[in-house]
Amino acid sequence: MLEGFKNYIGVFKNSSWRVKLSALIMGSGQIIYGRIAKGLIYLFMEIAFLFYMIARGFKDIKGFFTLGTQKADAWLGIAGDNSVVMLLMGIFAWIIVALFIGVYISNIKDAINIENTIISGKHPKAFIEELKELIDRKFYVTVLVLPVIGICVFNILPIIFMILISFTNYGGSTVPPELVDWVGLDNFKKILTLSKFAPTFIRILGWNILWAVVSTTLNYFAGIGLALLLNKDCVKGKAFFRAFPILAYAIPGFITLLAFKFMFSYGGPVNQMIRNAGGTPIGFLDLDAKWIARLIGLLVNCWISVPSIMLLATGHLSNRDMSLYEAARIDGATPFQQFKKLTLPFMLFATMPVLLGQFIGNFNNFGIFYFLRGGLYLDGYFLASDTDLLINWLYNLSIDNNYYCIGAAISLIIFIITSVISLAVYVNSPSFKEEDTFQ
Amino acid sequence: MKRKIAMALVAVMSLSLLNGCGGDAKKSDSASEGAATSGIFSGELEENVTIQVLENDTAISKGYFSQLIEAFNKEYEQYGITAVDANMDQYLDLANDGPYGYGPDVLYQANDVIMQYAQGKHILPLPVEKLDSYSQIPEAAWQAYMVSVDGNTYTCGVPVNVQAPMLYYRKDLLPEDWKESWDANSNDIPDMIEDWKNMYDFSVQRHQENPSQYGYMKSLYDVYFSSGFLFSYGGYIFGDNNTNPEDIGFAAGDSAKGAWILSQLAGIMNEDCIDDTITTNAYSKLADGTYFATLSTPDTYSTFYDELVNEYVGQGLNQEEAQKKAEENLVMTGLPKLPESGNLTEDNPKLVDSKTMGGVNGYAISSYTKYPNACLAFVNFATSYEMIMLRNETLGIAPAREDVASDLGGLSEAMYEELDKGNIVLMPSIKEVSQIWTPGQTFFTDLAKDAFRSEAEKKYKDLDSMEAGLEDMCNQIHDAIYTLE
Repeated sequence: MLEGFKNYIGVFKNSSWRVKLSALIMGSGQIIYGRIAKGLIYLFMEIAFLFYMIARGFKDIKGFFTLGTQKADAWLGIAGDNSVVMLLMGIFAWIIVALFIGVYISNIKDAINIENTIISGKHPKAFIEELKELIDRKFYVTVLVLPVIGICVFNILPIIFMILISFTNYGGSTVPPELVDWVGLDNFKKILTLSKFAPTFIRILGWNILWAVVSTTLNYFAGIGLALLLNKDCVKGKAFFRAFPILAYAIPGFITLLAFKFMFSYGGPVNQMIRNAGGTPIGFLDLDAKWIARLIGLLVNCWISVPSIMLLATGHLSNRDMSLYEAARIDGATPFQQFKKLTLPFMLFATMPVLLGQFIGNFNNFGIFYFLRGGLYLDGYFLASDTDLLINWLYNLSIDNNYYCIGAAISLIIFIITSVISLAVYVNSPSFKEEDTFQ
Repeated sequence: MKRKIAMALVAVMSLSLLNGCGGDAKKSDSASEGAATSGIFSGELEENVTIQVLENDTAISKGYFSQLIEAFNKEYEQYGITAVDANMDQYLDLANDGPYGYGPDVLYQANDVIMQYAQGKHILPLPVEKLDSYSQIPEAAWQAYMVSVDGNTYTCGVPVNVQAPMLYYRKDLLPEDWKESWDANSNDIPDMIEDWKNMYDFSVQRHQENPSQYGYMKSLYDVYFSSGFLFSYGGYIFGDNNTNPEDIGFAAGDSAKGAWILSQLAGIMNEDCIDDTITTNAYSKLADGTYFATLSTPDTYSTFYDELVNEYVGQGLNQEEAQKKAEENLVMTGLPKLPESGNLTEDNPKLVDSKTMGGVNGYAISSYTKYPNACLAFVNFATSYEMIMLRNETLGIAPAREDVASDLGGLSEAMYEELDKGNIVLMPSIKEVSQIWTPGQTFFTDLAKDAFRSEAEKKYKDLDSMEAGLEDMCNQIHDAIYTLE
């Protein structure tokens, strides 16, 4: 990379004044060599860029560093600076600058190329030819350019925005019209040095990992089990039975959750039955119900997630190589051995990325305990309950308080945890190591 | 072929990108416009203007709002001022929409919502002493709209009506001989409606006579309803008139007695009081006679009423008879008095007033309006005697104006007096109030659950343990507010 860059510098130094001119006025080299249309496009881009920078780019980049100097005051009619908008526009300006640098480099490369072609006695390509190439050999450029811009604006920009928020003091009482400031690593320091924070963090993290592993495993095997069962020849009315999990899947998750919350409440049908049978009602989800509530959470999550795994597995199972099973049967393998040695490796291979997605999804499963058992702060936990996951705690800490900066910092930490786990699992999985096993 | 499709897609995408740009440009236009306005109440009406008014959904659906703007527009026709429905969601975000010219000019909201805008100066401080209603509205209601900025106190809203928990009960579920056995002072008001001790005794008796029936029922977890019991014995939310979040007062004074009352009341209910079961089924259970009384806000009256009418119709009455009977029997009234000792089993207790948490809804003017004087004229008109009277007739609200309240008499007058006496503790107008709910909910749930724990497992056996529980709750609120500040 560095070598290539040095190479280019060398070539640039040795090139003629025409190339050097296009380093100053983009497209001039191309125009001098008779590639007028292309040269004009480069020239136009430079002018547009300069225009943007003068009109607002420089101001936006300055705003990115200061995050505003004038507080708004609607009573006095002072419009003032909106730090959040300034941060956003600042990032946008940086993206524009980065894109322009890309265009600038391509401009110089192009000028050098044209020059080299002419020196070697050939004719450089005409503009029309190059355009034609764009829908032929270089078609990928044509199709990708807009999505890349779209990704920059709608995907990368918000992600960078979120990451940068964690280095500011945005939130609490510091929301517009108040001005936001850069605070460096203060938010992370705050989280790590808080004496109340650590015990709760460790407790919640422990439960969160247990939850993610158990619920993913449970959902996965229940889903495959259901798919295998409905795949069996002896099962009558498969389509009919398959419809039920789909129904459960089709109902929006939070409605299902609220329905389950009602089912297990003191006045719900489960306690009604217990009462009618002469027993005392059980607080399935109340504040003493630690493990019962966790178990209910796991099963309810199963109810919501199993259908999607079942659908996925049904598709994959039909791709199995049935001759392997026949051979296994002839060799006397039991159904369990067949599952362990044939079905499972195949399924794991095919669904590892989905499984990881499920794991991350479950790790950050906000809805289950927010809807089933929200609104409790329990003893031994700092502003959380014993069923809360990190994401619920993050919500309690930041959103209820509007501490957006702390929220961003914690989500960055969660991101690091989940990405390390999933990367480690994926790199060690057969889907990655033995990519061509089933191809 | 594929390529052509791809090219077409690219074209569509670029068009849609351009579309986005168009919208943006429009936005920034109105931003500069909005910023140019500076609102001062010169008293000179802006002529030939239209002001956007955001009203409460019920006021719109029941037709009050259209009557209001019609009357206003007629009155101000000579100036060319027209008020229209802003046609926006009740839960607008003035702080983010206002600067870009999207918000309403005048808005009607609860005091805690309005005052959140005041802290960011998104609504204007009003020259309230110039309004006709100024002298008619009690100090306590004005206080809900006061904000202190740079050492000066401003009033940012005009109170319209008072909201507080009410006791709902059914007259036809009273014992037949209540005049003899449940009206010791012979004032024609049943004793259980007058004080909690009698409500407690009656609930015990009703449940003993028929184990499937209960007297007073209400989920305890709800801070809005339960914290009033703490306030009655000296508790409060925040110090310095609800402005100092450093001083959290749920455990102040004898508030543990309030917790004791709640725990005794939980004892006469069933496990349903631990979670939200009673809150959700109270409408139907009051109608079918399982419950005798419950607490709720005034705006749920129509739900209780409709359920009861349905029940009577089910019993064989025709619609008209059922409505008449429901009107007669469903009573919404103020809260019973409390025994000073906090002991519901004490005979002939000394009684104290019940306090409740409450709110004041009112009008405010957006800082981003271009016609502040026209808006002020609208607010003045909408809070006039006639309009507040009409509002009460159409919506059944409890007015914050003294003259309307005393002319109406009955419940409206009683609510006004409660507010004036300070028995309705208004919800704080500072943002820290959002942190009281979860810790409060946890404590009250624990307290309710405790009534159903075995003797050995009970956490709240005496006043000291309840006080400790309340202090824990205050610490949690303090932590929630300050830990990450």
